Amino acid sequence: MRYVKLPSGNFEDFFNSLKGIGQIYGPVKEGKTHHFRRVEEAGQMDLKYTRTMLPPKKFFVRPRERLFSLEDGWWRKEGDGKPFVLFGVHSCDVHALKILDRVYLSEPVDPYYARRRKSAFIVGISCLPDELCFCKSLGTHFAMDGFDLFLHELPDGWLVRIGSVRGHEVVWENARLFDEVSDEDIANFKAFEERRAEAFKRELRSEGLADTLDLAYNSPVWKEYAEKCLACGNCNLVCPTCRCYEVCDRWVDAYRAVRERRYDSCFMESHGLVAGGHNFRPTRLDRFRHRYYCKSYFDPSAGFNCVGCGRCDEFCPAGIEHVKVLDEIRGSLE
Amino acid sequence: MNPYESHPARILEVKDLTPREKLFTLRFLDEKLNEEFTFRPGQFVIVDVPGFGEFPISLCSSPTRSPIQLCIRKAGRMTKFIHGMKEGSVVGIRGPYGNGFPMEDMEGSNLILVAGGLGMAPLRSVLWYALDTGKYEHVWLFYGTKAYEEVLFRDEVLHLLKHGSAMNCTVKLAYEIESPSCIYLEQGFSDRVCRGVVTDLFRGENFDVENSYALICGPPIMYRFVIRELLNRKLSPGRIYMTLERRMRCGVGKCGHCVVGTSVSMKYICKDGPVFTYWDALSTRGLI
Ligand SMILES: Cc1cc2nc3c(=O)[nH]c(=O)nc-3n(C[C@H](O)[C@H](O)[C@H](O)COP(=O)(O)OP(=O)(O)OC[C@H]3O[C@@H](n4cnc5c(N)ncnc54)[C@H](O)[C@@H]3O)c2cc1C
Ligand code: SF4
Ligand code: SF4
Ligand code: FES
Repeated sequence: MRYVKLPSGNFEDFFNSLKGIGQIYGPVKEGKTHHFRRVEEAGQMDLKYTRTMLPPKKFFVRPRERLFSLEDGWWRKEGDGKPFVLFGVHSCDVHALKILDRVYLSEPVDPYYARRRKSAFIVGISCLPDELCFCKSLGTHFAMDGFDLFLHELPDGWLVRIGSVRGHEVVWENARLFDEVSDEDIANFKAFEERRAEAFKRELRSEGLADTLDLAYNSPVWKEYAEKCLACGNCNLVCPTCRCYEVCDRWVDAYRAVRERRYDSCFMESHGLVAGGHNFRPTRLDRFRHRYYCKSYFDPSAGFNCVGCGRCDEFCPAGIEHVKVLDEIRGSLE
Repeated sequence: MNPYESHPARILEVKDLTPREKLFTLRFLDEKLNEEFTFRPGQFVIVDVPGFGEFPISLCSSPTRSPIQLCIRKAGRMTKFIHGMKEGSVVGIRGPYGNGFPMEDMEGSNLILVAGGLGMAPLRSVLWYALDTGKYEHVWLFYGTKAYEEVLFRDEVLHLLKHGSAMNCTVKLAYEIESPSCIYLEQGFSDRVCRGVVTDLFRGENFDVENSYALICGPPIMYRFVIRELLNRKLSPGRIYMTLERRMRCGVGKCGHCVVGTSVSMKYICKDGPVFTYWDALSTRGLI
């Protein structure tokens, strides 16, 4: 890794220099929650946020996206690829994008996703956990790659980790804004990371989790929770790794149709419904359990499908807590 | 390359198989694609009716023969629409998708094909492939339907019922509802046609289980009974293949609709399947 220092006084110039890449999106506070929004000035952002409602996935897997439009009886491809900057992405969200990459960039590559992924310049930012974060248990509290630049807060500026050639080029072009990293900066970085590691209140016990959950398939705890769950699908929408989509053809007028895809949720009854009304996950219990299995699926090369961001807890109207569910399922076996 | 882009194909022929199923014969407009298009029995394509939508359909023709054929049941909105389409119309086709049956691995062995209803469609591909290549010892087809009138590819099935032995092929038929045609058939082939369910056809058959593979396709309910029959005869779970169906959108492992399993084993029916072994089913919950 290459490291440089961005002194506080140069932050705004650095931010403005990124406009050369394209439109900048960053965390903006609206009411009680944060959202990634277009920003023109550094001051519009609230960089001390914990989590945004919708994760950065919305820039890559769009909530609603046009795949094709019908012209002269056949399809014409759609899609945009304007470069843009995603400013202030937390490390759990960087990890989540890597999980999405494994799906969307594996053969056959999803060209819509790939194009936007290539167009994005990602600036990560360090954070402190709140009571819902459990990324540390999953090893997603620190990103080693998957970003162009990563800013770590120091008392008088930022320690910048450079994660890509493009990140390097940006630092190079703006060399005047950056300093060498001093011993004091390193000590401050270390202190921040230690303080942060101790700040986690929530922990997911991940040892043997995948097998334990499989063995607990018939646990009554699933049923208890499925009865509380409203099947609203909020947890799917806000989850940075949920990515199911539905496709539909829609007529714009009598002559033109478009084929669109939009977010789908495994909590919807239609998710597993096939022709003739047969449903492969007919009950809410089946669907509730499926989401937990999907999030806790363990890929030996990649880990879990959950990065511990705490969004599903924060935005669940039924107050269902991810770690608590998993702990109770585990407990029901003991 | 855009994997969601379908290729225009002309409907050369539409043939009624039963009141519910039609056989579509298709040819790509792009000649090069016609030459290059190849697949493995058990694979499927996604049929695209622009402006209406897409749906997965198994290839029911054999890669040894062209052009490609699809047997489509009128099951809902989109399949109803395509049933209304005439020869000469153009639809989109993308694929082939999925793993298909491991035809090479099974060479030199016996194949026991067990079809229930529409399950005959993908197995017809295997059947013709096996008979065309002659690379398999003996082929059994056990075919269970509701009624004689619902037998898909009736001419072909009857032909094999009569002349199959010359091709090392034994066809057996079970039907649930009596009709004059089946009584007549039953009189002619009392050893191979009976009233009952598909598992009744196993009676009196002895397979060399060391050298046989079973390939099953049918409604979800059928698997359990057929598999029990095969396991009773000591066929290894790794030699029992079945092709499964799920809700599909993308066909290439992105949209998440076809995912089954739990935290230890998750499978995409569209790309890890649709063909699975019974061992896969034992190790992945929710597969069957
Ligand atoms: C691998 C595979 C192979 C298949 N092979 C054949 C075949 O050879 N012949 C045949 O007749 N049918 C086959 N089917 C089933 C066929 O795809 C459905 O009958 C068809 O999608 C129904 O669409 P519809 O719009 O007419 O039905 P509707 O009931 O109106 O469909 C409702 C929605 O659910 C979706 N849907 C419904 N059933 C299925 C399904 N089983 N799989 C995926 N999506 C579904 C449809 O796309 C549609 O959007 C196969 C399915 C799979 C997964
Ligand atoms: S399951 Fe919950 S905690 Fe895990 S990544 Fe998704 S939203 Fe975040
Ligand atoms: S957000 Fe909560 S209530 Fe809504 S579907 Fe998810 S678990 Fe159920
Ligand atoms: S059909 Fe989309 S993931 Fe299998």
